[in-house]
Amino acid sequence: MRQASVTPGDADATEDVSPSFGIPGGRFITRGRLALRSAYWLASLLAPSASGRPTPVAASVTRELDVLGFGAIRLVAASALLVGLITVFQVAYQLAPYGAEVVSARALAWFVAREIGPIVVAILVVARSAAAIAGEFASMSANGEIDALRAMGLDPVKYLVVPKLAALLIALPALTAVAVMLAVVGGWLGTSVALGYNSALYLQHVHESLALGDVGVGLAKSVMFAILIGLIAADEGLRVERRVSAIGDAATRAVVHCLISVLAADTMVNAFVYFIPALT
Amino acid sequence: MSAVALEVQDLTGPAGSPIVRHVSLTVPRGGTHIVLGPMHSGKSLLLRLLLGLQRSEHGTVTVDGISFDAAAPNDEQLARARRRVGVLFDSSALVSRLTMLENVELPLVEHTDMDARAARDRAAELLREVGVEGDMDRTPEFLSRLDRRRAALARALILEPPLLLIDEPGHGLDPHAATELDDTLASLQLRYGCAALICSQEVRYAFRSPDAVSVLSAGRVVEHGDLDHLRRSQHQAVRRFIDRRGAA
Repeated sequence: MRQASVTPGDADATEDVSPSFGIPGGRFITRGRLALRSAYWLASLLAPSASGRPTPVAASVTRELDVLGFGAIRLVAASALLVGLITVFQVAYQLAPYGAEVVSARALAWFVAREIGPIVVAILVVARSAAAIAGEFASMSANGEIDALRAMGLDPVKYLVVPKLAALLIALPALTAVAVMLAVVGGWLGTSVALGYNSALYLQHVHESLALGDVGVGLAKSVMFAILIGLIAADEGLRVERRVSAIGDAATRAVVHCLISVLAADTMVNAFVYFIPALT
Repeated sequence: MSAVALEVQDLTGPAGSPIVRHVSLTVPRGGTHIVLGPMHSGKSLLLRLLLGLQRSEHGTVTVDGISFDAAAPNDEQLARARRRVGVLFDSSALVSRLTMLENVELPLVEHTDMDARAARDRAAELLREVGVEGDMDRTPEFLSRLDRRRAALARALILEPPLLLIDEPGHGLDPHAATELDDTLASLQLRYGCAALICSQEVRYAFRSPDAVSVLSAGRVVEHGDLDHLRRSQHQAVRRFIDRRGAA
């Protein structure tokens, strides 16, 4: 039985998964290191294994995708449909004095693809999964499971963080695409069924206003949000001490930090795009 | 091949606020060393320091001939040392997301080039060997506490390490189950020829003919020797254990 050699992932074998954050900016440093380690293991996940057999990490990604992705479809679908309806009613109400309610389709499609779709999905995933991820890791930490992995010479980032991060990287863009489509359907229900405008005209406005670049920006944002949610929730769960009471605190902090980070990142991207007209 | 499975020299830690102080002990190859101590005497912390899970203030740990400075361990040496140790935590610490079989085969899959089917077969065989009954494809939450502890023992043994580190083997088990686990542990230790360092607050382990017993009190080894030596000791911490056993 050949013993495998030490991998670069062992380079942090002596460190805590999420070391203390007593130093200024410690939280950013540990999250940066967590991001680098996750990137390393994500890359190794994509590389074909020497033995050609699926690794336990690959199997875990499938499991996480089921929980974090498929499990959120109903919530995202219902919310997106309602958001489409709400948006179209609000915009139509503003445009009513000018007799241009039907033009609300233009605003809706563009706004949903670039902004509302990715942000609503991110917020829903934070609400549904960030606390669960942090709570799960904190519970594993309290139960000694993280220590057990490290004691076996295995990097907890590889086994715990990477499957969730990989699943979120797949799930968030997919859920965003679903959300955008269903928000447009919601908008159609609002304009055509509730407000009584022509369906063909609605679709024409959607088609004219929606460029491929808008969808691209929305999907790119969803990838960014997936990274933020995965890393922050994991970090909050992994950094807790071995106390059961710390589990609830970690879950709460994960939701708060994820929400603020997602909104802050979205603001920065919007400001960046606003000041560089070529990107709009 | 080193004659000593584990050698600890002057281990003090964790860094910054030491609780374990100046601990030195040796476990011969294939032998058993019991660290006896009341709650909060530093037993679990001692195991964490030995595994490099927490940095020490100073001290040297040698596992099967591989030494590392516990205060500033070399990553590669620590990784090599860890692969020569099987650990049984007091909470079993099976990964809750993985099935029992996946938990046990994990070290094989990651640290060897064994074929996937062979690794799974070996894990199943070892699970049966430690006495796990029932569905091995279930996650640990569906198992009895004894089966979880048995599965954790199988995981600790899967790479056939020269050393087992065991924290409170009977923790949370009823006396019948605890005795069953002790017997399984003893027979497997004999079969695989591995040494064991057992940390416990239960004095009965000192009466199972270990090679040596160290009594830990407030993070220090206050007595060390064989059972006869402990019986003669007048140290209060030792007397509390020995007299309690006598009363029982």
